[in-house]
Amino acid sequence: MNLHAKFSRTARWLAAVAGLLLLGAVSPAMASEAAAHTKPSLVQQFGYSYLTAFMFFLSLGLGAMFLVLLHHLFDAMWSVPIRRFVEHLSCLLFPTLLIMFIPILALAPQLFPWMNLDPHHDHALHVKQALFNKNAFYIVSISLFFIWGWLAHGLRRHSLAQDKTGAAAHTVAMRRYAAGGIFIFAFSLTLAAIYWMKSLQHQFFSTMYGVVYFAGSVWMTLGTVYVITIWLRNKGPLRDVVKPRTFHDIGVLFFAFTVFYAYIHFSQYFLIWNAAVPEETFWYVLREQGSWKQVGFLIIFGHFVLPFLALLRIDAKMNTGFVTILAAWAWLMHYMDMQYNIMPVAYPDGVHISIFDPVCLAVIGGVLYWRFKADFFKHPPYPQKDPRIAETMGVYVPSAAAPNAGHGGAH
Amino acid sequence: MSATSTPFGLIAEFDKPADAMHAAEKIRDAGFTRWDVHTPFPVHGMDAAMGIKNSPVGYFTFLGGLTGYTSGMIMIWWMNAFDYTLAVGGKPMFSPFFAFPVSYELTILFASFATLFGMFTLNRLPRLHHPLLKNRRFTSGASHDKFIVVVETGDPKFSETETRKLLEIAGSQHIEMVEE
Repeated sequence: MNLHAKFSRTARWLAAVAGLLLLGAVSPAMASEAAAHTKPSLVQQFGYSYLTAFMFFLSLGLGAMFLVLLHHLFDAMWSVPIRRFVEHLSCLLFPTLLIMFIPILALAPQLFPWMNLDPHHDHALHVKQALFNKNAFYIVSISLFFIWGWLAHGLRRHSLAQDKTGAAAHTVAMRRYAAGGIFIFAFSLTLAAIYWMKSLQHQFFSTMYGVVYFAGSVWMTLGTVYVITIWLRNKGPLRDVVKPRTFHDIGVLFFAFTVFYAYIHFSQYFLIWNAAVPEETFWYVLREQGSWKQVGFLIIFGHFVLPFLALLRIDAKMNTGFVTILAAWAWLMHYMDMQYNIMPVAYPDGVHISIFDPVCLAVIGGVLYWRFKADFFKHPPYPQKDPRIAETMGVYVPSAAAPNAGHGGAH
Repeated sequence: MSATSTPFGLIAEFDKPADAMHAAEKIRDAGFTRWDVHTPFPVHGMDAAMGIKNSPVGYFTFLGGLTGYTSGMIMIWWMNAFDYTLAVGGKPMFSPFFAFPVSYELTILFASFATLFGMFTLNRLPRLHHPLLKNRRFTSGASHDKFIVVVETGDPKFSETETRKLLEIAGSQHIEMVEE
């Protein structure tokens, strides 16, 4: 079995291709940096970097919440072992990410140009005034975190309570949360994507915008969840419950969202390209200036083509070392996607990586990691008394009901 | 029925899926290549017990998809930008953007055809008849309540006495030779 050797070889090739792609994206960036015109102020530079890092990590919380909702909606068995730590990830949305959002609330007037415009002189703003006014922005932004907090903590509270009692009533309650929650999730995520990213260019229209952010978020989350699962299995806490099929199923979803993101982003681009209406095209025109064009190509080839081809084979999806590399790549790609959405407003002539970018990433990432770790060690590592936990561990437990009691007696 | 019929293979009947699975493990470990297990329902773990690797049908799918995508792109380029240029809506004569949805549909179409026909080719289908279908015990058992292991005489490791002994040790209650 030199399968492992085969994949480490593939991995090296992949790293080489990835490196070239990255070089292609970054080197023109350095060149165009010299030609920068109206430079944003230092506070703005920090603000945009912080917003980019924040939207990047918000993806993790929202993506995790989606996985929890998905688990309950489909009465899934495969995701039982990973559900607890995914619940912890989703609980980062409140209050941790709300606290991390404070700088954005404080800097909002400097980051979002529409806040300083008079709606009577700007038609686009005037017609969108119901959403795009300062009061609505602050109230909705803060409310979103409370809504997410209610949903994520409600789900985790029942999950933790079930650890003690084992009552099926908690599973039923979690399903109720999930059934309504998926709609709340969709609307709140869309509002977040519109308010915090799309409104940077308030004239823009795209009904796909929220879905694009959603698809990228879940994609990046699945890569992360895969790696955390490997780590927790190797370290011990999940050794008894994580089976090859766990990696199989996370891998398959990771692959599915690779395709889904491309499908959704292409749909957005294609409709705008085809209709060629200036109110929409200006968004992409800005993103064809300077090295932003290369970032666009990086997203096509790095966010889709490369992971798509790499994950096609089922044995690739289940090779933990291989997927770890791809998950790291997914982080980079999702971060570049966030840059692509946010940064052209600050740096219209090309990519500009400043010291603020890694610092903001490190600060937010560090705080989230610290909170996640604390949560993880405070509670049991996986749902102890989930109705499907035995099945997950590969143990067959006969139904408690008498064999002739149900199902019309057809035996 | 002619008197000079050639033997096709040994069939061994089992009453329980677990027995058939253990027999499959023995046959796998003995190194047989031309054999199969027929069960009335899918038995979990049978793939591993039989040592079946990932199906090569995926290669057909991939190549079919690649062909579909390429032919879609070439077709649209040929029709709109080469053979009969036609300006529509001020768009370029050819662009991968507008050609993509059609190419994508053709990717799926060709990939699914390739999957279906690749599966047929690998399974040597369609065929008019199979020797096993002549055997009453096989037809009534494999689709009802028996788990049947079949080892073909064409297998290089096949020997009527040795293989029969192997299946007996595996616990089969009924072993018989099926003719072509």
